[in-house]
Amino acid sequence: MNEEIAFWMLSAIAVLGALVAVRKRNLIHGVFALMVFFAGLAGLFLLLLAEFIAAAQILVYIGAVGILLLFAIMLTERVAGDDGRRMTSRGWFWGLVAAVAVFVVLLLPPIQQFPSPEHARAIEPSVKELGEKLMHPYVVTLEVLALLLTAALIGAVTAAQGVRMPKEEDSPE
Amino acid sequence: MSLLGGGILKGMAVTLRNFVGSYFDRDRLTTNDYAWRAGDSLPQHAGEYPKEEGEQLRDTTTVSQYSRNFPMLLHDEGEAMDTIRCVACQICERECPPQCIYIEKSTEKMERGGNKAQFYPAKFDIDVSVCMSCQICVEVCPFDAIVMNSQFELSTSNRFGGLLLRRDDLLKSNGYYHKIHPEEAAARDRRMAEEKAAKEAKKKAAAEAARKKAEEKAKAEAEADDKKQEDTQ
Amino acid sequence: MSPDLVRDILIATVPLMVIFPTLFAFTTWLERKALARIQNRIGPNKVGVPLTRYGGRFSLFGLGQPLADGIKMLFKENIVPRDADRLFHLLAPILALIPAMLVLCFLPIEFPWTESLLPVQAFLLDGAVIFFFAITGLNTLAIFMAGWASRNKYSLLGGMRAIAQMVSYEIPLVLSAVVVVMMVGSLNAAEIANAQAGWNWFVFTPWGLAAFVIFFIASLAETNRSPFDLPEAESEIIAGYFTEYSGFKFALFFLGEYIAMFAISGLAVTLFLGGGAGPGIATLPWLSAMWFIAKIFALIAVMIWLRGTLPRLRVDQLMGFAWKFLLPLSILNILVAGFAHFIPQENIVSKVAVWVVSLGILYMAAKGLNQLNRPNVRPRDYKYAE
Ligand code: SF4
Ligand code: SF4
Repeated sequence: MNEEIAFWMLSAIAVLGALVAVRKRNLIHGVFALMVFFAGLAGLFLLLLAEFIAAAQILVYIGAVGILLLFAIMLTERVAGDDGRRMTSRGWFWGLVAAVAVFVVLLLPPIQQFPSPEHARAIEPSVKELGEKLMHPYVVTLEVLALLLTAALIGAVTAAQGVRMPKEEDSPE
Repeated sequence: MSLLGGGILKGMAVTLRNFVGSYFDRDRLTTNDYAWRAGDSLPQHAGEYPKEEGEQLRDTTTVSQYSRNFPMLLHDEGEAMDTIRCVACQICERECPPQCIYIEKSTEKMERGGNKAQFYPAKFDIDVSVCMSCQICVEVCPFDAIVMNSQFELSTSNRFGGLLLRRDDLLKSNGYYHKIHPEEAAARDRRMAEEKAAKEAKKKAAAEAARKKAEEKAKAEAEADDKKQEDTQ
Repeated sequence: MSPDLVRDILIATVPLMVIFPTLFAFTTWLERKALARIQNRIGPNKVGVPLTRYGGRFSLFGLGQPLADGIKMLFKENIVPRDADRLFHLLAPILALIPAMLVLCFLPIEFPWTESLLPVQAFLLDGAVIFFFAITGLNTLAIFMAGWASRNKYSLLGGMRAIAQMVSYEIPLVLSAVVVVMMVGSLNAAEIANAQAGWNWFVFTPWGLAAFVIFFIASLAETNRSPFDLPEAESEIIAGYFTEYSGFKFALFFLGEYIAMFAISGLAVTLFLGGGAGPGIATLPWLSAMWFIAKIFALIAVMIWLRGTLPRLRVDQLMGFAWKFLLPLSILNILVAGFAHFIPQENIVSKVAVWVVSLGILYMAAKGLNQLNRPNVRPRDYKYAE
């Protein structure tokens, strides 16, 4: 019961944080919302009795990645973002489809396995076990995640290059 | 080869000596404890502060003569506004770093103390909540009209108006200045007297020179006249 | 939630939230008093028995001063700059206080009333020390938040300085703690403290001594204490990230800073100074908590003393000191600790030998690093002036 309440609360915090992080135009607000998400995630890890992962989550993601993000943002222009521009683009439909697809793929192995809580407790968290799990039931998930990260990386590079101004000769007279 | 971090230890020894020493050696103390009871031996520069209700507040003459906090305007012996030294030249207003002086020049000139008629400040406000006691206004004033006061009982219940000192609050006599800062005031008076003497001497010399020149000229003219007469003869 | 659990949690946390803020009040008085004496002044001595007119004859060395300060802070106007980010301006002081308060749970202070509820004590967590470091790191964010939200150049500079400083000094801090973790073989704070029961404090070993010194220096920087108080350097950037804070928000920052000082000193006590160990705890168990707090205060006193002694570092010196001096030294110390551990120390001779050799190695290394880091300045020869 307690755990359930805690679970829902932490999940709500994490999901809200993630949503705000994506929707906010103000970059600094976005980063802090992202950190709220990380913190919620750390809480969820704690709930699973994975204290070490929870601590590492805080240490690495909030402590290091967050600060790195802040530093990067301080180097960019227009931190506050312009609220005039809407965050819609033409490809939103396909984006939504891709997001749902990735989500389903990520969710598949746990749904297939249906680990009962007793079963979860019985698992010895060892590196060997971890490796086997990653390579056997979660291999598709792993691949999809890798793909996702690659896409994100390419997207980041594209975004960092900025919008190309049309060259003189390209522009219609 | 010196010990690594030895400098830090040495410094810590110094502060420790001061820390302990301040409990045993009263002459070390650079500030006064207001609350020292009468009868306790006080260091030379110590003052007293009323502890009991109803006791008179201490006036500024009991503070060390080297203390200063906010500026005041000086006037010489006589009615304050008749002998005010300030001529509203507004140099101090311009120089004050936090811009806390506000001056309004009078429209007509005023005669004072045998000097040439001069303007005077119709308004002269200092916002002591902004003043940082830097004494720059004192340094720049060419008329020795503004000096530092050491009045410290300035608490008021009004944060804005209460801390804005008007011209009439700021006007203090030279005698008062002598009372609170005897050494500085004496030095200033001496310097002013010297300057005045020098100026007078210069004036006199200038007058003398002018007279001589005029005489010479007259003589030369007379001679020239003589010559002319001789020539015509 | 079962009422028992709620009760246990309350008993475990509420005293911490009462005791340490009280100690904070006392520490502000102590600090002002000590700094004053170091500068041959008297310090606060008027406010005595609470709320009497002049303190009068019962001024009690000015012990009422924190109370008067607190009341003043509470009633002061809350000023928010016009262009500030209002939400973050409000959140920052709260966020600065929470992690500082939170990590107090990870200190193995055994209060008499907490004995019966050990299962909910956070310091029994297997990763207590890691958690400590993870959560203290959050402080940086609060400081950055404050600096950014104030819309003030000085605040932002302070915030940036704070981030750079804290990120750099966290590394020697953790590395010097690693030595102890390595020796005990546990990250559990209570176990680390128990391993030093009696007089087996780790500060009485060569590697422990070196690690303690490094840890202490790094903890000064982590808590923005002088001589590493660059983020809030009054003479350079006014007060850094809390330039734009007044009233109660400022008080929260202040409280957070001092609680963080207690927390990190508490960790130093846990790791190196034997936790609650001390004479008399076998007969009177409650003395253990007293010893713990007394040791924290000893460290705080040294911090105050250093604050009265040392001038502030320059930014490049600060960074250089962390990366080019403390970091290599703390890594070397881990090696030394490993060797010292595997050399048999049965008799007094081998013990002394281990002491001399390890401290010798560390000192020579420190000396060498010092030489290497010497700024390249020679006495200037004036070519044109005679
Ligand atoms: S106080 Fe002095 S400098 Fe200022 S206006 Fe008067 S005469 Fe000028
Ligand atoms: S003392 Fe300094 S700050 Fe005060 S009025 Fe004079 S010039 Fe201005």
